[in-house]
Amino acid sequence: MSTTTLTQGKDGAPAAGAGEQLRRGLAGRPALMALIVVLVALVAGAVAFDGTWPKALTFDVKGPLDDASNWLTDNRATSPLFLYFLLHISNWSEGGVDYVFTFLSNLGWLGVTVLATAASWWVAGAGLKARALRIALLTACIFAVFGVLGLWEYAMSTLALMIVAVAASAVIGVLLGLIAGLSDRGDRILRPVFDTMQVMPAFAYLLPLVLLFGIGSPAALVSTVIYAAPPMARLTSLGLRGADPAALEASRSLGAGSWQRLWTARLPLARKEMLLGLNQTIMMALSMVVMASVIGAGGLGDKVYQALAKDNVGMSLIAGVCIVLIAIWLDRVTAAAGDRLESSPGSAPAGDTGALTLERLGARLIAAALVVFAVVASLLGPVGERSWPTDWTASVSAPITNAINSFTKAISDGVPVLGGTDVWAAHFTSWVLNPMRDAMQAAPWWGVLLLVAVLAWLAGSWRAGMTGVLSLAVIGVLGLWDKSMDTLSQVIVSMVCTLVAGLVIGILAARSRWVMRLIRPVLDVMQTMPQFVYLVPVVALVGVGRPAAILAAVIYALPAVIRITAQGLRTVDPAALEASRSLGGTGWQQLRQVQLPLARPSLMLACNQGVVLVLAIVVIGGLVGGGALGYDVVYGLQKSDLGVGLSAGVAIVCLGLLLDRLTQSAGAGKRGGTK
Amino acid sequence: MSETTEAATAAERNTSADEAGKAVFSVRNLWKVFGPKAERIPHDESVTGLSQAELREKTGCTAAVRDVSFDVRKGEVFVVMGLSGSGKSTLVRCLTRLIEPTAGTLEFNGDDVIGMDKDRLRELRRHRASMVFQNFGLLPHRTVVDNVAYGLEIQGVGRAERRARAAEMVTKVGLDGLGERRPGQLSGGQQQRVGLARALAVDPEVLLFDEPFSALDPLIRRDMQEEVIRLHSEEGRTMVFITHDLNEALRLGDRIALMRDGQVVQLGTPEEIVANPADEYVRDFVRDVPREQVISVRRAMRPCKKGEADTGAALEPDTLVVDAVEAVARSGEHCRVVENGRTLGVVDNARLLNVVAGLTGEEDGGEQKAVAAV
Repeated sequence: MSTTTLTQGKDGAPAAGAGEQLRRGLAGRPALMALIVVLVALVAGAVAFDGTWPKALTFDVKGPLDDASNWLTDNRATSPLFLYFLLHISNWSEGGVDYVFTFLSNLGWLGVTVLATAASWWVAGAGLKARALRIALLTACIFAVFGVLGLWEYAMSTLALMIVAVAASAVIGVLLGLIAGLSDRGDRILRPVFDTMQVMPAFAYLLPLVLLFGIGSPAALVSTVIYAAPPMARLTSLGLRGADPAALEASRSLGAGSWQRLWTARLPLARKEMLLGLNQTIMMALSMVVMASVIGAGGLGDKVYQALAKDNVGMSLIAGVCIVLIAIWLDRVTAAAGDRLESSPGSAPAGDTGALTLERLGARLIAAALVVFAVVASLLGPVGERSWPTDWTASVSAPITNAINSFTKAISDGVPVLGGTDVWAAHFTSWVLNPMRDAMQAAPWWGVLLLVAVLAWLAGSWRAGMTGVLSLAVIGVLGLWDKSMDTLSQVIVSMVCTLVAGLVIGILAARSRWVMRLIRPVLDVMQTMPQFVYLVPVVALVGVGRPAAILAAVIYALPAVIRITAQGLRTVDPAALEASRSLGGTGWQQLRQVQLPLARPSLMLACNQGVVLVLAIVVIGGLVGGGALGYDVVYGLQKSDLGVGLSAGVAIVCLGLLLDRLTQSAGAGKRGGTK
Repeated sequence: MSETTEAATAAERNTSADEAGKAVFSVRNLWKVFGPKAERIPHDESVTGLSQAELREKTGCTAAVRDVSFDVRKGEVFVVMGLSGSGKSTLVRCLTRLIEPTAGTLEFNGDDVIGMDKDRLRELRRHRASMVFQNFGLLPHRTVVDNVAYGLEIQGVGRAERRARAAEMVTKVGLDGLGERRPGQLSGGQQQRVGLARALAVDPEVLLFDEPFSALDPLIRRDMQEEVIRLHSEEGRTMVFITHDLNEALRLGDRIALMRDGQVVQLGTPEEIVANPADEYVRDFVRDVPREQVISVRRAMRPCKKGEADTGAALEPDTLVVDAVEAVARSGEHCRVVENGRTLGVVDNARLLNVVAGLTGEEDGGEQKAVAAV
């Protein structure tokens, strides 16, 4: 250590002598000074020392984890934990998914399409209104696309898993939401759980589930429920708590008992939030169902995954398109249901007027016919053809695949002069990514710890600093220092790209109406797409490798950042903005002096969200050559190797904690500082 | 306006004859204290006399209602008036134990409300006292009719019957044809009419109003006040009405309880309060009231001088000064105040002007004795 201080002194001296003014400016800011000292020390240390975490300080977790994994495998058939608890869950979920899948295939392609179309039409408001008809048409088209592209079976198995997962998530979510919404103690207990779930990358808990349930649909289903239930619970609780207190008091004053109050007032008052929760749950479930193909969920996600592994870009794109179509379909239908809820003068359960209009009669007849049809199908077996007729597909899907393949090849390196996307990716790797990674790996570990501590202190909270330092230390102890620095460098590059692009576009969107109008539909579609799908076009463009992972992360995190930024800027107190304008401020002055400072909390939130989202993708980036921790997690999943997978997962969560706390405390600290 | 006030005072006189038997709500020494160990405050002699600020400093508690006693008589409109934070909303919620009182006794038609168990309390809320709220408290997902029927639904009344009764109420409050709308599609005044209909639908003995018209703009508020006056004159239902608006209180109230810092500082008819404020606070409060519209000639008259007892037009003692002004101006001479054929006194230009100018300081409220300040 003594040599360290020496180096530090040597390097520090010229910096201090460089400008007396600078030092005077820094005298009032010890933290900033400390930061500079640490940075100087980092550079010095990187030159003088080996930066890696010392071997002596690592703890071998692989051995014990492998033991645990072996124990699990050996005892799966005998341990009471499995026999009386996990086995039941496993059987139920397997049975449920199988049942739904059989039901769907018994209905046949025609049956499924008709049923889905009718259901969408009914949810969107039934009748002959334009919106309901449009959604019905959209549904029919989407199901036809599955068939034409030759992915009917895959789509059905994804759908079967979705139906069971969403049903389970919704039920569990509502129950948890009731607990959190009605009891303060329940809220206190559940809130941190929900918060953690929101930050945790989904991949982190896939592995333990794989060990408990084995590869296959039970693990996929359970992980989907764990991933998708929290938003339902959170929004249910929010709706219950946010209900108009006057309405609840009115109910009480009329002598309603607590059950009556729950049924007639509390739940109905919360149904807007609950529907929003259901929408989020459905979208998240889709995201996870697709991702769970890595652990054997099958379906469309598996198709994408297999095609990516075989570098068959065309096939992966086609399967990806199907997933996006499902996402759009589900989102549109739930959104239509939500809108209907908001603006429904007597259309909802107002069959009470007694007047049975022709329209309503028709709807009932159709519904009854469908139910009969469905029951017959599930009892008697296939109605008509089970699967989409093959001769309608073969001719279509192969040429599409080929066309896409040749197109992406042309774009990736065939563009004259400019070089093409592959070439750019290679440049990006050698000029930005590699130097960054090398620098971070070369920097001495204690220096990085110090840097984190000082950064957090600067940001305003020493507790965040403690969390950060501890997280990093855990990473070091796990023996994943180098890999984590690699991942961290990717995350930082992605974050910087995301934030720069997101803030610029967000500011543009906030200041110009037509930019907003232009990008809003794009953002809407992007935010509903499953994470996994982002990999597909990216790989098509830049091939497998770290740039692909980074590009996917940027694209994935961008919509949220843009949205929050634009929202924050536009909701700035109009009075303050008007005051600035009345004083003759230019557009730029208004932005710099009023909008940006006042929107600071939103900007920090955007930053924080960006970090969380980027980190979620980094793991998935392991699938497309992101390497480092992500790859370890994926490898661990595929090989059921707890030692490799779980420790990498823990390291990712640690990185997440570090970045989340740093950005969060920066936001909180600055807000507190304005007192 | 004058008619209703006359009717009200008449009603008041009738009920006051045997008031003990006909008190609907009988409140004695009621306390509501918020804060740690609140239940000890009302019985602790050393703190009960403290002001709100001192009490909060010493015990950490806030006494929203302190030692309040009053009777609400059958058929009257009892107004509780006070500025925000005076404890009036807490008080009205204590009446059906939507807020649990800390101490004191509370009887509803002779039944001890404090001692009621859950079921009997629910019974009280369902059938005997229902409430209209400042922020309406309507259920946005139900139609107007279903909102009005909500109280009946909670009672377990069958669907057809409750919808029929609700439709009747909807008509009664003047919302014909809007029954299938949702509350969100109605104006504020219409929404409060729904709130009123919902309270009426269960046919309660008492209607409790918690600042029902404060959220409405002035013209609508006036409409709604007329509506309440109309309902009251049609049905004669007992009403407890909370407001922070003095004019509203004077318009509607048979009797007014003026609250400040949780205590009732004065309880009396509008005329008593305006003509005879109990302390500086009340005097301040009623300073800008158009006195001629509240004070009657009974209070404004002076004893007859010789020869006056036989001349001049005759007025009822309850005639308002504002109406007497017209009679006096028209005839150009004094008017007599006559009750049952007996002349009580006379009013002339000077007496009436004194009332308008606020110069009749009547220390004891005595009818016959006129204390002229001029």
